[in-house]
Amino acid sequence: MNMLRVWPIVCEFGIGALLCIVGIWCGLRGGYLDLKVAEDRRLLVTFIAGYVFMLALVCVFTFLAPFWATGESS
Amino acid sequence: MIAQAIGGNLDYAVMLGYFVAVLGFGLYFGRYTTTTKDFFFGGQRFSWWLIAFSCVATVVGSYSFIKYSAAGFRYGICSTQSYLNDWFWMPILVLIWLPIIYYNRITSVPEYLEKRFDKKTRVAATLIILFYIIGYIGINLITLGRTLETLLGWEVMTGAVITAVAVALYVYIGGQTAVIMTDLVQGFILLIAGLGLFGAAIYHFGGFGNFWSLLPQDHKFAFSDFNGPPKFSFIGIYVQDGLANTGALMLMHQGFILRFLSLKSVKDSRRMVVCWVLVLAPLAAIATSCGGWIAKALVNNGELVTEPGDSFVKAAHFLCAPGVFGFVLAALTAALMSTADSLINAVSAIFVNDIWKPYVRPASSDKHYLRVARIMSLVAAGLGLALVPIFMKDTIYGAHSMFTAAVTPPVLMAILLGITWKRYSPAAAFATIVGGAILIFLSFIWPDALVGPFDFGMGPDSYKFMRALFGLLAAGTLGVSVTWLTKAKPESELKGLIAGSQMDAMRRFKGGEPNRRPGGKARLKVKIERDLAEENTVIVPQSALETMAAEPGDLLYASHIRWWYGGLRSVHVKAGPPCDCADCELMRIRPEDAATAHFSDGQQVVVEKIM
Repeated sequence: MNMLRVWPIVCEFGIGALLCIVGIWCGLRGGYLDLKVAEDRRLLVTFIAGYVFMLALVCVFTFLAPFWATGESS
Repeated sequence: MIAQAIGGNLDYAVMLGYFVAVLGFGLYFGRYTTTTKDFFFGGQRFSWWLIAFSCVATVVGSYSFIKYSAAGFRYGICSTQSYLNDWFWMPILVLIWLPIIYYNRITSVPEYLEKRFDKKTRVAATLIILFYIIGYIGINLITLGRTLETLLGWEVMTGAVITAVAVALYVYIGGQTAVIMTDLVQGFILLIAGLGLFGAAIYHFGGFGNFWSLLPQDHKFAFSDFNGPPKFSFIGIYVQDGLANTGALMLMHQGFILRFLSLKSVKDSRRMVVCWVLVLAPLAAIATSCGGWIAKALVNNGELVTEPGDSFVKAAHFLCAPGVFGFVLAALTAALMSTADSLINAVSAIFVNDIWKPYVRPASSDKHYLRVARIMSLVAAGLGLALVPIFMKDTIYGAHSMFTAAVTPPVLMAILLGITWKRYSPAAAFATIVGGAILIFLSFIWPDALVGPFDFGMGPDSYKFMRALFGLLAAGTLGVSVTWLTKAKPESELKGLIAGSQMDAMRRFKGGEPNRRPGGKARLKVKIERDLAEENTVIVPQSALETMAAEPGDLLYASHIRWWYGGLRSVHVKAGPPCDCADCELMRIRPEDAATAHFSDGQQVVVEKIM
């Protein structure tokens, strides 16, 4: 595996996770993000789903899509 | 860039027609602007979908099509990286920053910095933010000037002047409402044009597989290599765009602050953000970059000869029929106008709220401030034009990257530490902004000594990107160090201004305990009554209050029943005590409030609880 292609994902989604955690933790502190409220729970799920969606998209265009036309594999 | 003009008369007619239509559209909305609140915040009444589209239009500047297509031609699909960084900032934006600025009725970033820290921090931030926004206007104007030079053979400055005059004119008359409404149209146009071009290319090549196989393999990766090539490495783009530029767009860009504050409620910001960042931004990434990918495929197929900087225009010209090419050019114009208008409005807001109001003419009438705001819109366009000759010395990508990497880190770091860390002191914030700016300035004099250690072995070619990392670390280190040596503000003065105290800000906004019980919408008939006791208060039946899960004193939002107005005809009011008739289905409202919302007697409206 070409680590020069892997480090960008680790960096982007690692620092990204830190930023997300800071935001969510600051929302939970003081009760502004109240997980007893259905709407707030949906928001939290959306944040996580968005993160996973972006990660999946980037993985497809790093480990699969570049090799589609040539038949090679990563 | 190519020298001769391309495109036919029909194309230019379509482009000119679009230009005039947008101008007229913007001027039409001047009638909704009668106060500074309308001029800067569009009356704080718009729906999430309208703001989401207008945000995309603002993010996509005219430089985007040229810059990202050029990057797409050179490096492939990793040119979309800039649009895929935004999601990670969303929790900070939606859960911390937006509630703080919205509920504290903060009109500008410098105003927040004065409340959170002190006056001198506000002054320092005002100067840097003004410089940042005016520079952004200059970059947008030069891009369109260069495109018109390519298309029509005009001088760069001529194209920039014509566009600046048109945009300044509709901002002058219509303010934020004109900006939002024209940006809605322009957001649609630029997405349709960009994605339409991509669709046309796939059709031309006989399917996605054929198009994909025409791209070199190193063009098919989501990211560049971690530290190469120096002018487009992953780490360079990430620190400059993913951290400094995206952070600045979310937290310190006055144009976006005004747009967020135009929403009818903070709750709407959640939907707006999901629609903007998760749906529209990826589409915009394809729309702006695809010109370069298509041009590369056409070149590899032996059908086109082009340079990276011309790839968007040449690919569009190759694929589009006469007239349709004009539509694509109109999208390019749309991208410019929709970014420049927000920036011009933002400069005007900062000048009025942070310079004119506190220092030059305090306690004047709102009419006076509105007049100053309008004049300042024209001045802002003029200042942006003055910067065009300076940016002409670099490539557009280079100028944009260098500028954002150098200007944004100190203020961004001060805001980020300010909202998340209560110990962060006023002296530290001032040191972060001023000391950070000085260190970044010094990095232009001694780049090898200051930026060199952060270049990940890429050398001087990467400095214009890696300067962002140096700036963030230098400003952050200064801020943290000075904090430990100085005294923080008492916690009682920080209520509602830092993370963890958003509920205090909500209480302050409402003037009471927020009602967060989930409720529905009630459909009522307007009854205008002159003798209602309290200003900005409506009387609705008990049944409507129950539907909305609202109580007397709660904040309500009444809007036209047609959703596609997007809040243009709406008003925020307080619920008064319920009326005696349990099922009369009337909303009694004072004439002043009805006039604000453009409601007439007997009209049906939708009412919902805000908090």
